[in-house]
Amino acid sequence: MRRPRAIRSGGHLARKDGAIAGYLIKRLLLSIATLWLLSVLIFAGARLLPGNVGRAMLGPFADERAVQVLNHELGTDRPLLTQYASWISGLVTGDLGQSYAYQAPVAPFLQTALLNSGKLALLAFLMVVPLGILGGVLAALYRDRWPDRILSVVGLSATVVPEFVSGIILILIFGVWLRWFPISATPPRDAGFFLQLYHLILPSIPLVLVLFGYIARMARAGMIEALDADYTRTAVLKGLSFPRVIWRHVLRNALLPTISVISTQTVYLIGGLVVIEILFHYQGIGSLIYVAATKKDFPMLQDGIMAIGILFTITTLFADLLYAVLNPRIRFQRQE
Amino acid sequence: MTAPSDMARPRVASGPLRRLMAMPSFLIGALIVTFWILCALFGALVVPYDPFATDVMQSLAPPSDAHWFGTDQLGRDILSRVIVGARDILTVAPLATILSTILGTTLGLAMGYFGGWFDEVLSRLVDALLALPTIVVALLALTALGASTYTMLFVIGFSFAPIIARTVRASVLAERGLDYVAAAELRRERAAYIMFVEILPNVLPAILVEATVRLGYSIFTVATLSFIGFGIQPPSPDWGLSIASNYGMIGGGFWWTVLFDGLAIASLVVGVNLVADSIQAMIND
Amino acid sequence: MKRNHRLLDLLRKGRSPLENHLIDGFVDGRVSRREFLRHGSVLGLSVPLLSATTGALGFQLATSSPARAASGGTLRVGQIVPAGSIEPAKIADGGGITVLSQVAENLVLSAPDLTAQPLLALSWAPNDDGSVWTFKLRPGVKFHDGRVMNAGDVVATFDRLTDPEVGSNALSAFTGVLSKGGTRKVDDLTVEFHLDAPNGSFPFTVSTDNYNAVILPADYAGDFEAKMNGTGPFKMVSYAAKQGASFERNPDYWGGAPLLDRVEFSFYDDYQPQILALLGNEIDVVQYIPVLQAAAVMSNPEIAVINTPSSAHEQVHMRNDMAPFTDKRVRQAIALCLDRNQLVQGLMRGMAEVGNDSPFMPAYPSTDKTVAQRDIDIATARQLMEAAGMPDGFEVELTTEKYQEIPEYAQVIQNAVREIGGRITLNIMDQGAYYGDAVPGKSAWLDSTLGITDYGHRGVPNVFLQAPLLSTGTWNGAHFNNKEYDGLVSGYVAALDLEAQRSAAGKIQRLLLDETPIIFGYFYNFLTATRTGVSGVVPTAMSHLFLQQASL
Repeated sequence: MRRPRAIRSGGHLARKDGAIAGYLIKRLLLSIATLWLLSVLIFAGARLLPGNVGRAMLGPFADERAVQVLNHELGTDRPLLTQYASWISGLVTGDLGQSYAYQAPVAPFLQTALLNSGKLALLAFLMVVPLGILGGVLAALYRDRWPDRILSVVGLSATVVPEFVSGIILILIFGVWLRWFPISATPPRDAGFFLQLYHLILPSIPLVLVLFGYIARMARAGMIEALDADYTRTAVLKGLSFPRVIWRHVLRNALLPTISVISTQTVYLIGGLVVIEILFHYQGIGSLIYVAATKKDFPMLQDGIMAIGILFTITTLFADLLYAVLNPRIRFQRQE
Repeated sequence: MTAPSDMARPRVASGPLRRLMAMPSFLIGALIVTFWILCALFGALVVPYDPFATDVMQSLAPPSDAHWFGTDQLGRDILSRVIVGARDILTVAPLATILSTILGTTLGLAMGYFGGWFDEVLSRLVDALLALPTIVVALLALTALGASTYTMLFVIGFSFAPIIARTVRASVLAERGLDYVAAAELRRERAAYIMFVEILPNVLPAILVEATVRLGYSIFTVATLSFIGFGIQPPSPDWGLSIASNYGMIGGGFWWTVLFDGLAIASLVVGVNLVADSIQAMIND
Repeated sequence: MKRNHRLLDLLRKGRSPLENHLIDGFVDGRVSRREFLRHGSVLGLSVPLLSATTGALGFQLATSSPARAASGGTLRVGQIVPAGSIEPAKIADGGGITVLSQVAENLVLSAPDLTAQPLLALSWAPNDDGSVWTFKLRPGVKFHDGRVMNAGDVVATFDRLTDPEVGSNALSAFTGVLSKGGTRKVDDLTVEFHLDAPNGSFPFTVSTDNYNAVILPADYAGDFEAKMNGTGPFKMVSYAAKQGASFERNPDYWGGAPLLDRVEFSFYDDYQPQILALLGNEIDVVQYIPVLQAAAVMSNPEIAVINTPSSAHEQVHMRNDMAPFTDKRVRQAIALCLDRNQLVQGLMRGMAEVGNDSPFMPAYPSTDKTVAQRDIDIATARQLMEAAGMPDGFEVELTTEKYQEIPEYAQVIQNAVREIGGRITLNIMDQGAYYGDAVPGKSAWLDSTLGITDYGHRGVPNVFLQAPLLSTGTWNGAHFNNKEYDGLVSGYVAALDLEAQRSAAGKIQRLLLDETPIIFGYFYNFLTATRTGVSGVVPTAMSHLFLQQASL
């Protein structure tokens, strides 16, 4: 989802204080219901995959007897309902199961992958949020003049170009031609902080490009709204200097939609990670899912996709709360 | 609050084309999109070489007078392939968009109109689906069903439908409490009639905006899926596919085998999104 | 060519009749020097003997210690991520083999020149009919935990691999050749293999070609990844599934301690990032690069490409029991549309050898080279189509896997058969979907009318002759059913001397050329890329990577 079609507004929270706890509980229960549905969808989707696991793992030329022994060892010859039950009960108790392909617990792989993707996503966010807000503020200040127009077109273009296209062009220019950056996102093992950072810069740029237009656009809208709002005029009339007004009132208000973007974009970001991680050879959650799908490593695939779903649900919940806490209008409404 | 349907209709119809034509971003976008549509329709007639003719002895030739964009690893003319490469993506992406719009609109109308447990259950399902990136959903579905152009069409169609459904549902909820709906219900019209004849025209602008935006994503998704091997299949000269089969060699300096296809994708998505953006801006004005 | 008959007579002493027959063939000029080397090595003529006979030896691995030029350092290797855990009996992929080859070894090396060379076995010899093979083991070979390898370990290893309960991947190779209990200890350094049926190329069955057959301690109880206790030149330091592995020099290695201090392996999901990492000086060696991708490094002065000949190839099968391929003239016509020299020079950039629609590639010693090479001939192809009643051509779907240059090869074929009105639509699937369950009815590979399948390298053509072509073959995608062929192949496999093999091969080659159930367009080389300055890297076409002589 590239644009925040439906920003989950915190408007629902504009209720009496007592209602907030109730609302929270309802949201939580709904989230759990959604996650359960998701688990059913994922399990059904994964088990529709053709071929058999043992065959996929051992390859076409492996002996049929070896395949059968393996399938039995893995338990893929059990009824589907049994397999679903054992998966879901494992999830609830924190046992993610064994990877078929690596015959080792899934948890460490998933942990490493999430950590790696987290690093990449964090770097992208650290770069794009200030850039995006700056761009949005600039565009709002020069509303409908050329900086606004240019930022708007550049932002839109950067946002809609697929990551693999921008990624390949970046590899061509900075990896192969200029040789400024390594083209593999994976640093040598035991690499220090700066070396890791160095390896992650090139891969994070396509993500920055994609998110920039987005955040800039939201920041611009929030900024314009704030600039037009009464309290800004009041503040200026009170004699505060314009930059101070921007800083104290406007910027904080412009941040709100940006937070909401971050929450709605998490899921999109992960989609982008699939391509980026394949392109830059990075062991993150995206490549974990891709590789698990091609290898029919069901436990890994299911857990990986489920992790994304959970992550998304939590971020959304958290962002909604944060939004409600930060949003002055909601507080005003409550006072009314 | 009299006859809101009469208020909404003229707003869309009041010379929308003229207003769009006044927007430079729309003009640029429309120009790019038209160019690629013409390539898709008539490109095969004007290309300098047969885009499928292999000549392995001429492989990987850099751009020259004979081959302006060079040749790929099977010695095919890249210029010809880029031109004809517009065809598949410009067939699949719009079809997928139409499919998802029809499905999503129907679903959204029903959810918004009936409400209650029906809406609640479907909303949960839509939320569950939306918790996953389209690429991941598509990856799962395409691995399950086998990668082919048709499968991709349906997968994109189905996975975009919930997004459209959510937008439509929100618009329908706004209309649901209005007098004209109540009046129709008093007349004991059938639910289908109220949804499609009474409500639908009033939510059309929202659907139109959503559909044009979806078209952009659709192109984006088709290109990306083709790139990771789950979309359009060889020997199509599709851009994403061409990049996938040639990017293994860019380390050797064969930049022309991926650059032009990349620029083609970039220009098409930018063009479509400029158009979508302009339409959105016009309707929101 | 003048030959020293007295020397040869001396050499003959103590040789089995089979071996003497080969020497006779060499003396008479029926067997060329290269062929003598190749086939002699199978029969177990020891390396010194072969050297004495011919005065040359092409391939040296661990048999000598070269001058220690630059010792030490860490070599960084890129490879495809192993498909599963490193369990010697179960491995079935190149990535796993590469890792395994650092730490564990086979009895015999199937060398790039298609000879069998001693590794953990010093020598071997068959009995008169080739039903019992006796292997002498190398003395003083130590496992990484310090124990000395003996015949008991070898017997236990082969009993484990041939035990159906274990479900080893090597069962296919051992079926009809060696059963559990057939491996017997004679003394601490001698093992006898009592075969299910006479077999003239048994040493290849226990060679690196049968990559699962690495010698492990007799008390091995699973969980190889924890210690990787083998006899190999490197010892495991760490292994991280999906990421990489570190190895350090094994100072007690029987072939002399390796030159390098350490080897670092990084695992990649694809070839492209490895090439980029090689160009970016992040790794020194890429264990394997498909030919199409090697174009990226071929002209780069910083990169050297090691070109290992191999019998790997793409089989284009045409279902003999389905239209339009029920008529052999149609199959021949398609084969005649292909310009094989262009395939080799253009598509494969010269890194391949032309195939003649049978598994007998020119490099096999048993190949009958008098069989005429099939070449492009559109006129004849059109005549054949007309004679078959299909002057307007045919329509058919070509189903294949997304692997290496196969999609490109498929497009070349699609383009080529247009000449005879062939209209091919392509269905290119991912590998898992293409192979399916690998049994008829549940596998696009075995069910498709027209398909292309990749076959990896084998030191001898036996597997290629049997599984994809015998009427009982388990990989018979062409559904080829020809009793005469079946008979010829069993004759070929049982044939113990080179001339009998070659005469059977000639008949098989001619029969396949006439029937054309499968098009063998080319046999492609196995390419390994290193940064210039790295030397002594010895790959095999089976994906082993021997680094004991490697240096930076």
